[in-house]
Amino acid sequence: MNRFVEYQIKLFCWISGIILICTIGILLAFLLHKGFSSLNLPLIFGETRPLDGLFLKTRVVDGLFPAIVGTLLLILTSIIWAIPTGVAAGIYLAEYCNEKWKPGFNLLLDILAGIPSILIGLFGFAVSVFLHKHLSEHIYPCFLISSLALACLVLPYIIRTTEQSLVNLPFFIKTTGLALGASRLQNILLILIPYNLSRIISGIILAIGRCAEDAAVIMLTGAVAMAGIPDSLLSRYEALPFYIFYISSDYNSQEELMKGFGACIILLLICVFLFALSHILKRRAAKRFAIHI
Amino acid sequence: MKLAICLAGIFMIAGSSFAAAGDLDRFEGVKGTLRIAGGTAHIPVMKEAAKRIMTANSDIKITIAGGGSGVGIKQVGEGLVNIGNSGRKATDDEIKRYGLKMHKFAIDGIAVVVNPKNPVVKMKKSELMDIFSGKINNWKTLGFKDRGINVYTRDASSGTRKVFWKKALNKGKIIKSANFVKSHGAMKSAINVDPYGIGYISVGYLDDTVGPVSLDGVSPTLENVLKGDYKIARGLYMNTKGEPSVLTRLFIDYIMSKKGQKIVEDKGYIAVGK
Amino acid sequence: MKPSIEKLAEKGFLFSALFSVSITILIFFFMVFFSFPLFKGGDIAKFFTLEWNPYESGFGIVPMMAGTGIIALLALLIATPFGIGCSALISVFSTGYFGRFLRKVVEFMTGIPTVIYGFVAIFLLVPFIREIFEKGTGMCVLSASIMLALLILPTIILFISNAFNAVPKNYLDAADSLGATPAQKLVYIIIPLAWKGIISALVLAAGRAVGDTLISLMIAGNALQIPKGLSDAARTLTAHIALIIASDYESPEFKSIFVCGLILFIFTTLIILALRLLGYLKILRNR
Repeated sequence: MNRFVEYQIKLFCWISGIILICTIGILLAFLLHKGFSSLNLPLIFGETRPLDGLFLKTRVVDGLFPAIVGTLLLILTSIIWAIPTGVAAGIYLAEYCNEKWKPGFNLLLDILAGIPSILIGLFGFAVSVFLHKHLSEHIYPCFLISSLALACLVLPYIIRTTEQSLVNLPFFIKTTGLALGASRLQNILLILIPYNLSRIISGIILAIGRCAEDAAVIMLTGAVAMAGIPDSLLSRYEALPFYIFYISSDYNSQEELMKGFGACIILLLICVFLFALSHILKRRAAKRFAIHI
Repeated sequence: MKLAICLAGIFMIAGSSFAAAGDLDRFEGVKGTLRIAGGTAHIPVMKEAAKRIMTANSDIKITIAGGGSGVGIKQVGEGLVNIGNSGRKATDDEIKRYGLKMHKFAIDGIAVVVNPKNPVVKMKKSELMDIFSGKINNWKTLGFKDRGINVYTRDASSGTRKVFWKKALNKGKIIKSANFVKSHGAMKSAINVDPYGIGYISVGYLDDTVGPVSLDGVSPTLENVLKGDYKIARGLYMNTKGEPSVLTRLFIDYIMSKKGQKIVEDKGYIAVGK
Repeated sequence: MKPSIEKLAEKGFLFSALFSVSITILIFFFMVFFSFPLFKGGDIAKFFTLEWNPYESGFGIVPMMAGTGIIALLALLIATPFGIGCSALISVFSTGYFGRFLRKVVEFMTGIPTVIYGFVAIFLLVPFIREIFEKGTGMCVLSASIMLALLILPTIILFISNAFNAVPKNYLDAADSLGATPAQKLVYIIIPLAWKGIISALVLAAGRAVGDTLISLMIAGNALQIPKGLSDAARTLTAHIALIIASDYESPEFKSIFVCGLILFIFTTLIILALRLLGYLKILRNR
């Protein structure tokens, strides 16, 4: 290979790296430039007094507050569904599942992890239509359906991180408890899981991030433009990603558009915070391994 | 003396509440959730009314979603929402199938709009049809720059599209390369940022961010719609399945009341009664 | 702990696992259940036509299939060279400060919500594209592909650079001792050894690109045509589902979105099978 070609290859790599960084830089700069001025209390609380709005004394009508609360509640509820199921399924796959069944489980879970989120949304919608027709008039796309659909979306992530964090443990850690007379379940719950808790938590936080950012699922399962703070599992609700999507095409004035930019920044901050947290925990888990092995 | 002051006080309180009666007071003591979906021309009116009602009575929750007239009719028919808005009359088939009751609350025109920088402010109806069918595909033909015409249209569930297709295009063809937008708001912002776009929106949504086009010399204003000169007009309906429930009834009554009809006018539509 | 609790817990774990995998089966079942009447009625041929016009009972979804394919393919074409370039930079050329910084940026990108890419593109990229082409609206195949490329790049870069890093060190040491330059190591050793990783990354990214809804819904224009050029608007299957969703539950258009769903489901399954064939799924699960 002559020098010239080598040089070209190197140049190409550097250029692509720099272009990527510049693109992301421009994107963020644009967002901040447009949205920074709109980041203030009225953006979140509208005409309502912030403290009244925060403690639910007065309803916030114009601000982003209901959408932010909607997103946070949605994350919380989805995670409540997904964590027990996901961790339990992860434990099963890592510790109990026999080799004959494993490929089947793995295939189905991999497909679930790869399914486009809009399909999960469509599934949630179809289920709610089905239940509405055959079970109860009161079921329609709503907060509950959304949170369940989102739980389906993130379930594979939680299962995989749990499974991997158990499978990849060093042999002596896996067996010490058993040798000292702990039962299989005691060994899992009291030794293995706590030992690798931060890795599992990092997976869960990553799942939370997915819940926070997803718009395709919620737009099919009950998010609406105006609903206020959800007061029951069966009510419709607002959420930040949907709000941003809605504003992107339906803004009626420059102020509304600016609110959209403000919402983008808030959502970005939430997501980046979650991803960073997950990342740090994963690092810490990895370091801990390094010491023991 | 004390008694007199007391009495005066009572009268004053009674008087003030009397003045407001017929508007928001009727919602007092009512609880519950009202779900509204459908036509997007309705949203500004619904939103304003909902905002006022929810501020006055925090036990009432009103959720508003778009989706288009077709969606509104279907969702109210399936019992998914309490009020399904539509920008067209429900068809006989729909009325029969779902047992719908229509409540017409406003009259609206559908205006052809272009970017405000576009000098083409009038055209013949035949030209409009040719643009939407793709026969005329360059602004040069109409005396603007040599640039392609970007046609914007709405999806099949839109009542506006159905009315526009029937009354403006005489059920003519709409070119396949047309861009799809989901609502009036979306149409307005799309035309606002596209110097070479053409689309159609509710007269209520007209403002200086888009330029209305007069057809055959008649401009799409409320007066012309009212006089009947501007033909591309339709009623805006709230549909309910059978007899509405208490809260639904109250909401409809509020929209039909003086205050409600004032909102209708403020948002740029023609109040019914007129 | 008592043995009965042990048994109970094991049952619980098994049940959770069964429940989780049954979701996949349920999704498939629902897609088939809702689109089945069409298969039975022999109407299915109607869906593989070019015309979508529900007023006159045209329910063709071929334009959407074409739109999905073209946009995803183009996004991959844009993203692949960047992906390989950036991965090489991270793993080979710049293992120092800049490489680490680039990796941090890429990891940061995985945290950016899709809807924000779409939102920014509407106000930044779309007007720009419109002026470049001097025709069309700027909401087109190219705009969507560029943003989609940006969306799938982190997946590609992180995956490929992991595959690069997984090349056995003794091969590289041997090359070093023979006096190979970084570029030579990249072309003659790393890429040939990691090609399965590269292909896997692209297959995975293809899955992401096909499955994304928001970007194509927001900036591809959603026109009902097979795009003939970069500046033409198009509609993807995912955007089609999002646009049609709330129609009449009995109508053929509602059922047809489940046909779209079924196509996407089958496509996902094929992607997963391809990844299995390449043997790279383990790395994916470990991430």
